[in-house]
Amino acid sequence: MKRYRKPIQYIILAVVLLVGGYAIGQSFLTPNKALKPGSEAPAFELLGLDGQAHALDSYKGKPLVVNFWGTFCPPCRNEMPALQAQYDKWKENGVQLIGINLSEDRVSVNSFLRSYGIDFPVLLDKNKKTERKYGLKEYPTTFFISADGKIQDIVIGGPMSEETIESRIALLLGKD
Amino acid sequence: MIHNTKCECGHQNPTGTVLCESCGKPLVENLPLDTPLEMRYDGAARRSQKQNPDVIDRVWNFFSSVKIAIWLIILTLVGAAVGTIYPQESTFINLDDPAAYYKETYGTSGAVYQALGLARTYESWWFIGLLVMIGTSLVICSLDRVLPLYKALSKQQVRKHLTFLTRQQTVLETEIPGDADQWVADFGAQLKRKRYRVWTDGTALLAEKNRFSRWGPYINHIGLIIFLLAVLGRSVPAWHMDQYVSVDEHQIKQIPGTDYYVGNDKFTVDYYKDEELPDNLKGTARAKLYQTQATLYACTQYCDDDPLHDPVLEKVESHAIEVNSPLEYKGLKLYQYNFEEKIRLIEVKPMLVDAVSGKSYGPFDLKMNDPAEISQAGPYTLKLNDVYPDFGLDEEGRPMTKSRDFNNPAFVFLVTGPDLDSKGELYIYFPMPSAADKGVQQQINDSFKKLGSNSGRFNFEVGKMENVTFSQFTTFLNVRVDRAMPYVWVGAAISMIGLVMGFYWHHRRIWLRVDGGRLTLGAHTNKNTYGIRNETAAALAKTGVDVDPKALDNRRNTQ
Repeated sequence: MKRYRKPIQYIILAVVLLVGGYAIGQSFLTPNKALKPGSEAPAFELLGLDGQAHALDSYKGKPLVVNFWGTFCPPCRNEMPALQAQYDKWKENGVQLIGINLSEDRVSVNSFLRSYGIDFPVLLDKNKKTERKYGLKEYPTTFFISADGKIQDIVIGGPMSEETIESRIALLLGKD
Repeated sequence: MIHNTKCECGHQNPTGTVLCESCGKPLVENLPLDTPLEMRYDGAARRSQKQNPDVIDRVWNFFSSVKIAIWLIILTLVGAAVGTIYPQESTFINLDDPAAYYKETYGTSGAVYQALGLARTYESWWFIGLLVMIGTSLVICSLDRVLPLYKALSKQQVRKHLTFLTRQQTVLETEIPGDADQWVADFGAQLKRKRYRVWTDGTALLAEKNRFSRWGPYINHIGLIIFLLAVLGRSVPAWHMDQYVSVDEHQIKQIPGTDYYVGNDKFTVDYYKDEELPDNLKGTARAKLYQTQATLYACTQYCDDDPLHDPVLEKVESHAIEVNSPLEYKGLKLYQYNFEEKIRLIEVKPMLVDAVSGKSYGPFDLKMNDPAEISQAGPYTLKLNDVYPDFGLDEEGRPMTKSRDFNNPAFVFLVTGPDLDSKGELYIYFPMPSAADKGVQQQINDSFKKLGSNSGRFNFEVGKMENVTFSQFTTFLNVRVDRAMPYVWVGAAISMIGLVMGFYWHHRRIWLRVDGGRLTLGAHTNKNTYGIRNETAAALAKTGVDVDPKALDNRRNTQ
């Protein structure tokens, strides 16, 4: 018995470290997952109005602007022309700009985009899943994501002016 | 300081031994002289008592200390109490900004409380740390004591040192009549009738009963460890879930974080009639029954938010959920939590009515959620041009939706077909039966007519109520998974068994030796010394030694 004493002590203390370490470690993983500049942009895969699935990964390697919007939200509607203008201005420079609609039906989204003359890519969120992943509290919210998939800036609320969008896109491109 | 741990009987004892493992002679010189011996763990050394402890030994010894264990328990109690001052964050559903909420609701003290992290006491690192330390202490304290105790009790010497006998709580020194061997045999027979197990060694005797009650505390500790591990196990995500879903009638909704979907087939609320209520409650709405007729579906394909496919659902369970009667499926429990009365249209089947000919066509299906883009009513094709789930006007007077909820839906159709202009005619349709809505519908259609978008010949009519599917109630269900619960119960049961063993049975031992006609008897029990004195006195009386049970009390004699 005596010669097992040391190993048993080590085993018990190791188990304590493992179980205790896991339990205490878990307590640091607070559910407060609010995204902030520097966070990794949460992955998504959504249906676009083009009928194709689009994943966040497929945009990697280029700076990306993601605008969450809905037809029910007046500031979202009002900043659409500014977003469209910026999309037109930067698309040649490799900057991507997409809108994610806030779980509305395809018909209303299509009709709204038609009437506002919007043609930047719009993806359809479903059952508010993506907006929850991004922890949206206010509409619109726009994420400026750098080429490596990290969030560089977040603009909460709107409508944004073209300058607001432009200055952030310039930062994404590494220009001041 | 090096103790000489060798007893005069020749037995070599481990460091820290209080009473010689063999003969029971006290080994610690500075024991108080006139009190009964300290019999805890039979005087055996705790396992980890060592002369040159290394780091591991020191950690071990820290947790092996009962004093430390008591402090840990006190700290945990205080921490747990502090956690009850204000409600914990985890008790709120959808608490977006806890800091603001606590400040607003409970003032500055609430803000401080929240900022210190006390609103998350039971999930905090220090609280869980304390639980882990208590668990460690339970294991190590028990192990360090139960093994030496087991060893000491399983190889007891029958012949004990005189000092050991005379310093028990129950002691008798007297002359005995007749032959010593015969007397010891008779006395042993008497004790056997009281269910003692008896060993003799010449004229020395050891009688013992209910030794198993000594294991009670350790079994209790095993139960507590299982209990604690189960509680810590709840931090494993798959083991514990506690969340809320709201489901309209006829709606099927995913339970977040799972591949299960729940459908609210029908919600029933029943109120007490006035005559069933006491006077002071008459006229108030008191619910008698809340019931959600629920169906649980499991996703079998396309469950990972595949944007190109809808998930394939399979019905796995259905149950009428009432308070205290949850739907249960494979550890998942859905409890009735709340409800809200709110009428929402789900689907209507309107007819397309031609005011000119008086004919009606259809009905066609119009789902509020994800409506079909093309519908057919008789010879006419209806193309859905626009949907406004919650109809309103924006600042410029253009139609828009005020929210995503189908509070006041409106649909714009482009109707094409026989006798119509090739570009078709535009009509708006409000399925809600309210007069206000019908008024707005008329106004908008009239303005379309003025613009030349339609001729005003069509209208929509639902007609019978069976063509309308609507939700009257939204039910709120509490979804729980608590896979740790069975282990909590097992732990609690084992713990209770240990407590009962320790509480209701007492370990009793009687030692005696006869040296030249003189009897020295000592007896020990961990509880109820009256009982053991009475038993000893009764056995003595049957063997010719008359003694008052009270006179056996060593503590009384020495005072």
